[in-house]
Amino acid sequence: MSGRLTDMQLDALRELANISSGTAATSLSQMLGRDVDLNVPKAFALPLADAVDAAGDPAEEVTGIALAVEGTVPGAVLLLVPPAGAATLCGLLGVEPGSELADSALGEIGNILGAAYLNALGSMTGVEMLPGTPQVITDLLGAIVATVLAGAVGHGDVALVLDSELDITGEPCAISVMLLPDAGGVNDLLAPLGLSEATA
Amino acid sequence: MGELAVSDAVGDELVAIGLGSCIGLALVDRAANVAGLAHVVLPESQGKTEPKAKFADLAVPDLIARVVAAGAVRRRLEAVLIGGARMFAVGASLDIGARNAEAVRAALGEEGIKIQAEEVGGNRGRTARVIIGSDISSQLAGGTRTSLLTLSGGLGARAATPTGTAS
Repeated sequence: MSGRLTDMQLDALRELANISSGTAATSLSQMLGRDVDLNVPKAFALPLADAVDAAGDPAEEVTGIALAVEGTVPGAVLLLVPPAGAATLCGLLGVEPGSELADSALGEIGNILGAAYLNALGSMTGVEMLPGTPQVITDLLGAIVATVLAGAVGHGDVALVLDSELDITGEPCAISVMLLPDAGGVNDLLAPLGLSEATA
Repeated sequence: MGELAVSDAVGDELVAIGLGSCIGLALVDRAANVAGLAHVVLPESQGKTEPKAKFADLAVPDLIARVVAAGAVRRRLEAVLIGGARMFAVGASLDIGARNAEAVRAALGEEGIKIQAEEVGGNRGRTARVIIGSDISSQLAGGTRTSLLTLSGGLGARAATPTGTAS
């Protein structure tokens, strides 16, 4: 990826994120039996350090649920939840927060959200994207996001981040859902929309 | 990430927050009270030339040049490594942390610079802090600071010892 995405390309990616995370929100809502609101997603292509800052306060402790993505457009899906939100999710699933079961319950939420998101994205773009096994860690936001981005961006100049926020109605629980395509993958997402770098 | 900072002012604080698989590489000339901190992201530059601090192979010579330009004496330089965790057991970031640490050690070895302390590996993120004239420390998320190298005792450092952790 050259690192220069046009506004139109970013708009298109934001719309892809919007529809994909809408599908993911529906799945989560069915799983939890609660309404889930979706905020307008953000799409940004930034140098690594700026991308981490754009994702949130690097010093904040968060719970991250990460899924490697394989297929035509590899990358990662990363869900970030503040610790209080993670406890809320566990409560809604009837699991003791902080227990061993808690991580597996949060991983299951990662499975459901990740699969729904990637399915929706795949059916819009015709691109195959398969979620891997979720991993749950609680650490500094900077450490989590930087590590996932370092793997995704590699030697590319900029990191592309599609960031959606899901809010569970009536609960203090906001889940940030991020798609982090590997460098170069963005073209495969844009080409089916007629907006690949070559034509833009 | 991929950034670098150098200071020769006692009390100045250089910080890399939330190092996961990345390495915070500190180079210090304790006698001259000059130190630098690079936030290394990947082991090899593979033909890239910028940003230098992002890649271990470019970061080490660049950081040496920058601290020497700020008044450090090359033969007095000592290194401290912080970070290089394996945050995820599998997946995209296939232990970049260990590869980063290895690459930084190799590059320091080529330059003949001694590693005085390391806080590397594990599966937790760390914050690296260099306080000129005080110390270099590592801190786990939610944990206390572990001082790895004392920086007090410089040539003219006594006049303006910063408040805090100097021992």
